[in-house]
Amino acid sequence: MKSKRVFLFRLVFILVLVAVAAVMLVIGRGHTVYFDNVELDYQGTTYETPYKLVIYTGGEEVAKLYDGERGMATCIGQSLDLTLEITQEKGGEEELVSVTLPLPYNMDGVVINLSAYLQDLPEEAYLSEFVPVVTETGDEEDVVIPGDDMMMGDF
Amino acid sequence: MKTKHGFQKKLGQLVLDNSVPIMFIIICAVCIPLSGFSPSYLLNEVVTRMGRNTFLILCLLIPIIAGLGLNFAMTLGAMAGEIALILVSDWQIWGIPGVVLAMIVSIPISILLGLLCGKILNRAKGREMITSYFISFFMNGMYQLVVLYMMGPIIPIVHESIKLPRGYGIRNTVSLLNMRQSVDNLLAINIGGVKIPVLTFLLIALLCLFLIWFRRTKLGQDMRAVGQDMDVARDAGINVDRTRIVSVLISTVVAGFGMILYLQNMGNISTYSSHSQIGMFSIAALLVGGASVEKASIGNAFLGVILFHLMFIVAPSAGAQVTGDSMTGEYFRVFVSYGVIAIALVMYAAKKRRARSNAGQLLAEAQKQEENA
Repeated sequence: MKSKRVFLFRLVFILVLVAVAAVMLVIGRGHTVYFDNVELDYQGTTYETPYKLVIYTGGEEVAKLYDGERGMATCIGQSLDLTLEITQEKGGEEELVSVTLPLPYNMDGVVINLSAYLQDLPEEAYLSEFVPVVTETGDEEDVVIPGDDMMMGDF
Repeated sequence: MKTKHGFQKKLGQLVLDNSVPIMFIIICAVCIPLSGFSPSYLLNEVVTRMGRNTFLILCLLIPIIAGLGLNFAMTLGAMAGEIALILVSDWQIWGIPGVVLAMIVSIPISILLGLLCGKILNRAKGREMITSYFISFFMNGMYQLVVLYMMGPIIPIVHESIKLPRGYGIRNTVSLLNMRQSVDNLLAINIGGVKIPVLTFLLIALLCLFLIWFRRTKLGQDMRAVGQDMDVARDAGINVDRTRIVSVLISTVVAGFGMILYLQNMGNISTYSSHSQIGMFSIAALLVGGASVEKASIGNAFLGVILFHLMFIVAPSAGAQVTGDSMTGEYFRVFVSYGVIAIALVMYAAKKRRARSNAGQLLAEAQKQEENA
């Protein structure tokens, strides 16, 4: 009876740990989101950009984009809440828009064309993956230094 | 007159028992003015290092209770923590969730390594410290094999920024920028320019409470019994081998957590060297706090981390002031760290020999009295 209880306790403990790990995998997924304010050609139509876009996340300004510019923000989770301050023309009225962008789990870097998004285009038009270019620094990167020295560094 | 003599004897015994912390207090008292650091800077540094290292030092207490001495194999837990962090870093889990996930991932690895270490230590009873020291060297080789050759082809690693340019193996440094100080900064408060990482201290407090509670449990009492005398414990029906394995296991798991907290504070992993000296310096810090091979408390861990790290912070600068070369201070702190471990081991051996000699004398006297009677 006691061993059965111990077994059950251990099983529940392991299941709880697995569940917590699964939750962490979902809520902790980090993304780097790049915001583009660039003109887009989609299915033969050209979509113009607003004059200025100011992007806020969590009440903080993360980017101020004029035509042809790119901004960046990092976020944790599966969606990104943004507040956009849109100025269509120079000297024009500012319009505040709140949006929630769903972010694909499998993408580390997500490029979002905000002007396309604001025109209600489908996801394939406004969202793409950002693939960083890894610069090779030469053979010295391959040299691995196992730490068996006696010095302490910054312990 | 007799009272005065008694007081002097007590004071002498107190000084003798706490010779290492007293020595370090003197070293720090001399070095602090020489270093020229402001009190707020020193306080800030000590608080940061307390948050960074105390968890690692506390993991050494349980094996000491169980009579295994100083667990040099805590490095195994540190390796488990590092492997977990590399994986979590590759999965791009950031912030607190990343730290929590790394801790969960490190548990099975730590358990496996702790089990292996405990089984080996059970075959080397009486020689646990030197055995655990060499287990850590052996496992370091295994760790390098896993990280250098298996990560990539066997254990999937996706990101090029983590992999070596040749396509497999992990780079010398893995960035933890996205989880850097995430635990330290959450709930952190600033008092007079000193940042207090409240959540980290809460975690340390939780571990301390766990240790206090654990000592009062049946398993904790068994460990104390095993630590005092294995034969008596065995006769009392305690499964000595299992108890010792559990103590190593808990120590390894806690060391894994400690390493994750340590590295999230640092903000990067030196893949091949972060763990290599961690056991040595955690042990040195505990000994500086007044612990011995067979007795250590939570208070020793806290005092040790303060004194050892205070010496760590001020020694290079004080060395530079005195000799004109900061490397003198560097060498001094390395010398002191290894020296304090050596002194503790010598004192332990001398105490054991003295106890054995006293027991022999008592036995001889008893035999003599029996013959006379």
